[in-house]
This record gives sequence, structure tokens and C-alpha cells, in this order.
Amino acid sequence: MSRKSLASPFLLWIACGTVIPLAVIAFYGFTDRSGTFTWDNILAIFSPEHAQALGLSLLLAAISTVICFLLAFPLALILKDSKLGQKGFMIFIFILPMWMNFLLRTMAWQVLLEKSGPINAILTGIGLPAMEIINTPAAIVLGMVYDFLPFMVLPIYNTLVKIDPHVIEAAYDLGATKKRVLFDILLPLSVPGIASGVTMVFVPALTTFVISNMLGGGKIHLIGNIIEQEFTTSANWNLGSGLSLVMMIFIVLSMAALSKLDKDGEGSLL
Amino acid sequence: MKNLKTLYLILILAFLYVPILALMILSFNESKSMAVWSGFSTKWYEEMFSNTLIMEAVWNTFTIALISAAVATIIGTAACIGIQAMRKKTENAIMALNNIPLLNADIVTGISLMMTFLVFGISLSYGTVLLSHITFCLPYVILSVMPKFKQLTGNTYEAALDLGATPWQAFYKVIIPEIKPGIMSGFLLSFTMSVDDFVITHFTRGAGINTISTMIYSQVKVGIRPTLFALSTIIFVVVLIVLVASNMAGNSTNPKVQKGVTAFTTGFVVVLLAGTLVFSGIAGGSGGKEVHVYSYGDYIDPALIEEFEEETGITVVMDTFDTAEEMYPVVKNESVTYDVICTSDYMLEKLMEEDLLAELDYSGIPNIDNMDKRYLELAEGFDPGNKYAVPHTWGSLGILYNTKVIPEGEITSWNDLWKDKYKGRIVMPDSMRDTMAIALKAKGYSLNTTKEAEIAEAIDYLIQQKPLVYKYANDSARDLILGGACDIAVVWNGEVLYTQEENPDLAYVIPKEGSEHFTDAWAMPAAAKHKDAGLAWINFMLEKQTAEVNFDYLTYSIPNVAVIEMNKDNPANMGVLFPPDAVLTKCEALKNLGSEVDDMYTEYWKKFKS
Repeated sequence: MSRKSLASPFLLWIACGTVIPLAVIAFYGFTDRSGTFTWDNILAIFSPEHAQALGLSLLLAAISTVICFLLAFPLALILKDSKLGQKGFMIFIFILPMWMNFLLRTMAWQVLLEKSGPINAILTGIGLPAMEIINTPAAIVLGMVYDFLPFMVLPIYNTLVKIDPHVIEAAYDLGATKKRVLFDILLPLSVPGIASGVTMVFVPALTTFVISNMLGGGKIHLIGNIIEQEFTTSANWNLGSGLSLVMMIFIVLSMAALSKLDKDGEGSLL
Repeated sequence: MKNLKTLYLILILAFLYVPILALMILSFNESKSMAVWSGFSTKWYEEMFSNTLIMEAVWNTFTIALISAAVATIIGTAACIGIQAMRKKTENAIMALNNIPLLNADIVTGISLMMTFLVFGISLSYGTVLLSHITFCLPYVILSVMPKFKQLTGNTYEAALDLGATPWQAFYKVIIPEIKPGIMSGFLLSFTMSVDDFVITHFTRGAGINTISTMIYSQVKVGIRPTLFALSTIIFVVVLIVLVASNMAGNSTNPKVQKGVTAFTTGFVVVLLAGTLVFSGIAGGSGGKEVHVYSYGDYIDPALIEEFEEETGITVVMDTFDTAEEMYPVVKNESVTYDVICTSDYMLEKLMEEDLLAELDYSGIPNIDNMDKRYLELAEGFDPGNKYAVPHTWGSLGILYNTKVIPEGEITSWNDLWKDKYKGRIVMPDSMRDTMAIALKAKGYSLNTTKEAEIAEAIDYLIQQKPLVYKYANDSARDLILGGACDIAVVWNGEVLYTQEENPDLAYVIPKEGSEHFTDAWAMPAAAKHKDAGLAWINFMLEKQTAEVNFDYLTYSIPNVAVIEMNKDNPANMGVLFPPDAVLTKCEALKNLGSEVDDMYTEYWKKFKS
């Protein structure tokens, strides 16, 4: 038995579980109910209700990704320098929340953010104005940041700890300021991790339907919601597949950018 | 600077853990509402353990996670060995393929797998969920194990061979110990991802197969019960203990402590898993006569299921669905055969028209005499002669409002929901036909209209109302009004008594234009295999005592004489539960309008939604 053949169950699995299903989506996306070729399902993205949903999804996903990055980078820096930043502990604090069901964690924000919920009670208690963000796009962004932040922190942290400390010392010895070290050394050297983090936040945020369902109060339709409904309530697989294909263009774009910026897979989650 | 860093860390941790803390606290809340704290109680924990549906979901979740993580780990590790032996170019291509499910959107993975199964004639079941989970776990295993192979020190494998080891020995004694951490983390990560997954399971699960996630999602739509908070709290605490213990083992330098803690953790996990599996196995066990019941989720007090089993010796196999639309293809295609189903009037009408229901043999349902005649008559609207269906619950749509803010009697009409002064304080339903029914009724049209002009007018009216609406929500409306987030909520009458108990300032009115009413009823699919057991079930549902228990559980109108008797001395409650004829005659039930008109409604509804 050759060693290579050990990979065959996996290759078979990838073929059946990834390649064929993608072909099926493509088939449905380019045909109508009678099975004849059509561009209609793809072009349907330009109808106002679909285009608006896609635009809003892109916008909210981009905002969430930026916020995640702004929160995660300093956090990863702090953890890198502190005693707490041992690998076991990092995974511990960021993987542990996943054991509270994702739907319930998201739903908890419904309770917390409610107009007369605990957060507003505290805010008004200390004399601040209450927040009215539940059922608005802001609440959805918050939900996205909350759910996907670990996917930004872990890869950035993993690239930061791999940076040779001598490089940083050398920079200081040569008279670099803290700011320069940050912008000329730490930031460029963690690009693989950042790229990986950006993809891992942007893609799920772009395609979610659960978060918008739970925190948007039924007022905000993202592209994920529309696709989900085509499959569950409207039973129009062709349109759903067509819209998925359009959405995948953005996924493929971000994956391509990732593979360019993170050639060696340094910025992995693990 | 140091303090600032600590503060930042604390804030982020609070952000991550406050919602979890909130859920834990709510799991001990006496009240079923998320918005009101009414005292400490462990009743949800007790209810959880006696709820067979939850136990089944737990069983499914953990068996799926265990099997898929194990299979993925074996296939994935073997694959890494194989890929190592390949040329760099091939390796890169395979790794790119491997990354697809990892980076692709869950929703795309989910729907593509679902369509593939169905295209190849594989009906959705427990097995399809399992296959899908293995598919998305594999990349995690590869990503964890592959780097360990890259780090292998020198040519230890060849050295072992030179020293006389067989290839298997060399692999087992030399390679495995070095890649073990990768295998372990791949397995654990797969297990975690599988347990936490919702989207892929949502699309690939078969009828009646629930994991904890899908169960939560279906309950979010119909009003979640804190039993699920209790369940999640237990899981979370168990995992916390295990992780803390294994972290301690990892940090300790004393090998005895390490061994002890590892042994303890392993033992703890094994006992717990075994306990869960045995426990849920018993709960789901069967033997002897069975009845397969298919109903809306959380529509029967689970205690009654046990009582029925004890009384009759028939084992109940209960599956649930969220929407009638979800149930329809299952019954139509007979992908699973059920003996009794409980669903709504318009859907029963559709099933009757397609000859999918069996006529009921009333000699097996002597308790039909306990049913109130008025409601049997109403049921004839969709089932002339009551041949096919026996009502379970009845309900009507009305407006619940807070009299502390809005004087009692100020709201009498649907059109009041369009008044600017209530801006931001109104909660409307989020369900196409129900929401449109309100606008149609407000305009004085039938809620079953097939005229495009009337539908268009109703949609314009709804669009005009949108800025005034705080939220479109279904059963969670009760929590919003109880929590004070809104002052006006459109709710089903079944929510009223329970919310008024929590807040006596709430008033309920069925608007003067009339409203929508529904009957959910028990019926028997034509394909039923255990008709006698099915009739016994229906008969049991009509027992006076069953109806009383169920009424206490659901607080929906159950048109049983015993329930009417219970409430007859309370005119306010009677008005909500069993409104007088003058009100009833102005109400309409939804009718099945046919696919063409349905498409028209959907088209306009999308316009409103965007």
C-alpha cells in the first residue's frame, strides 16, 4: 500500500462533500424550474430588494470587520506581553464561550439591549442617556462583532507571538519610537494573521441570517435572510442558488486576497 | 499604562462573558418571560430532565459531534500522511480544496449539501446531518494535524526503520507521539464546532431530528422556554470544569498532579457522557405499541405524554415542526409516516383537498362530547361535518396595550396602530399572512382577498406604518410589552392571560373591524400505520383533565367544556379566551388561496420587507 493512498478517503470525501455540492449550486443557479439555462437568477441581484439587501450586508460586514480589527489588535498586543498570554489560556477564554450555544449567546443581547433592559438601566442609573440600538443595524453590527471577535483575535495573536523578539529589541536599540515599532514592525509582520482574521470575520458576517433575524427585529433583511427564505419558505431553489453564487463572488475575492497576503498559512486560527 | 491595559482586558472579557452570565441568571428565573425577574427557582432544571424532546436533542447533538469528530480525525490524519508523500504542487491544490468548506459561508455549505442529498435521492435524516458534520470537521483536523507533520524532527521514521522496526511500529511508536497534540486539538475543535453548529444542521436535518441548536432556533420563533437556558448552563459549567482541570494539569510540573487531574477529567467526562447517553437513551427508548405524533413545537405539556404512555402502554414518538409549511412536504411525501398530526386550519384544508388525510372513526373518540359545540361548528369552516379534524386550540389576533400609558378604551381599531403618537411603541407580527391580515382588515377588506389592488393597498399601508413600528416579532411580543420595550403589541389571545398575570395593567381588545382567528386541530394522515393508537391519542387529548392541564401549560383557548367551566366565573378571561358571538362573527380564518395568489402575496411581501 502506498502512503499516498491513505489520502484517498479524504479526497473522495472532498469530492462528494465539497466539489459536487458546489456544482449542484451552480447548476441550479443557472437554470430555471424546468431545467433550461437562464441568467435570470444571477441577474435577480439587480432587482431593488435584492441589491439593497446585498449592499447593506456588505456595509454591515465591513463595519463589523473594522471594529473587530480595532478591538482585536490592541488586545492581541496586550496578551502577547502579559503573563496571561499563554497559548492554553488564550484558547481557553476565546473558545469557551462557544460552549454556550451561539444562538442563545446572540439572543442574550436581545435581552440586554432591550429599551428597558439591564444595560439601559445601568446607563440611566449613572446618569447617561439610554441607548436605543436594538432592532437597528447597530444591534446587528454588535452581534456580529460579539460572535466573530475570537476569529480575529486568535490569528493575530498567533502571528504576533511568532515575531522574533530580537527584531523588536533591535528596533528600539536603533532608536525607534514605540509608535514606529508598532507601525513599521508589529503591524507589517502580523499581516498574515490580520488577513486571516479579516476573512474569518467578513465572510460569516456577510452571510449571516441568524444575527439579523434575532437582533434586527424583523425590519432588516440581509442577503443571508433572503437566501434562507428562498430555501425554507418560498421553495425557489433556483433563485436561492443564483443569489448564493453572487454572494460567493465576494467570498472568493476575500479568499484570494487572503492567499496572497498569507502565503504560508501562518495566520491560522490554531 | 499597565492599568489601562488591564482595564481594556477586563472590558473585552466582560463583553464576551456578560451575555453568558445573563443566560445563566435567567435559567433560575421563576418566570418564563425573559424580561421579568420573578424570583429564584430551579423548576426549569427539573422540567428539562423530564422533557423527552430536549433529552433527544441532547442525545443527537452529542452523538453527532462524537461520531463526526472521530471519523473526521481518522480520515483527516490518514490524509495528512498521504498528502505528505505527494508533490508540493498537488499538496497545495489539495490544501486549497480543503480550505473551501472552512472559509465558505455556512449557509452556502448547508444549502449545497442539502440540494446534493436531495438531488441524489437521499432523504434528509440523522445520517445526512452526520455526513455534513464530517464534511465541515475534516478541514479543522487537517489544519491541526498538518503542521505537526511539518515539524517532525529529522528522519526519525527512517531511523526507526533502519533499527529494525516494521513500518507500522515506526509509525505507531515514533510518528504518533509527535503528532498527538495535533490530533487531539483537531478532534476537540471538530467536536466543539459540531456542537455549536446551527446553520448546516438547519438545512440538512430530517424531519423530527433536532439538535440543541435547531431546537433553540425553533423556540426562538415561538417564544423560548428557560429550560434551554438551563440545559446550556449545565453544558457550559461542565466544559468549564473540564477545561480548568486540564489547564491545571498542563501547567503543573508535578507529574503526579498531572496524572491525577487528567484521570479525574477523563473520568468526569466519561461518566457524564455515559450518563447523558444512557439517560437520553432511556427517555427515547421504545418497545411495544407506538404512536407517531407530529405537532407544532411546545404545544403539549410534556407531563401529559408520560401520563398517556402510562395509561395506555403506548409509546409516544413525538416530532415537532415550526411552521405548517415545513410540515406539509413531510406528510405529502411520506418521508416519515405519522399517526396523528396537529396543524392549522388552512393547512388541514389543503391536506384534505389532496386526499392526504384519513376520515376519523369517532367510535374510537368517545371524548368528542367534551368538545364545545360552538368551536366544532367553527371548525366546519375548513372541515365540513368535522370528518377529518378535532380542534386542539383556538385563537384570535388582538391588540394588547399598557393602560398605564394609554388610557383604557383608547384603542379600538386596527387603524389606531397607524397613529403617529404611538411611534416606536408598537410591535407588529412578523408573519406574512398575519401581518397582511391586519392591514387588510384595517382597510375593511377580507383577509383572504385575491384582488391584487386590495393586496397592493394593504402593502402600501404597511409600508407607511413601518417607521412607527418598534419591532416585527411573533410570540416574543409578550416579553417586549412585559419588559416595557413597547406599549402596544399585536398578540394571539393565548398570550394574554399569562402576560396579564405578570402585569395587570395590560388590556386586550379585538378591534372593531374584526380579526383573524385560527383553529389548530388533530388529524390523521391517510398513510398512518397505527390508526388505533392515533385515535387513542386524540381521545386522550379531549379528556377533561388533559385539557385542563394543557390549558394551564399553554394558556391558549382549548375549546373543551372543562376549560370553559374553569373560566366561566371570570368574565374578563372569558372575553379573551372565548369571545362572544358578536365578535366572533366578524372574524375570519385564513384560507388556502392556491399557489398563484400565494406567489402574489409573497411578491408584495418582499416589497414591504426590503
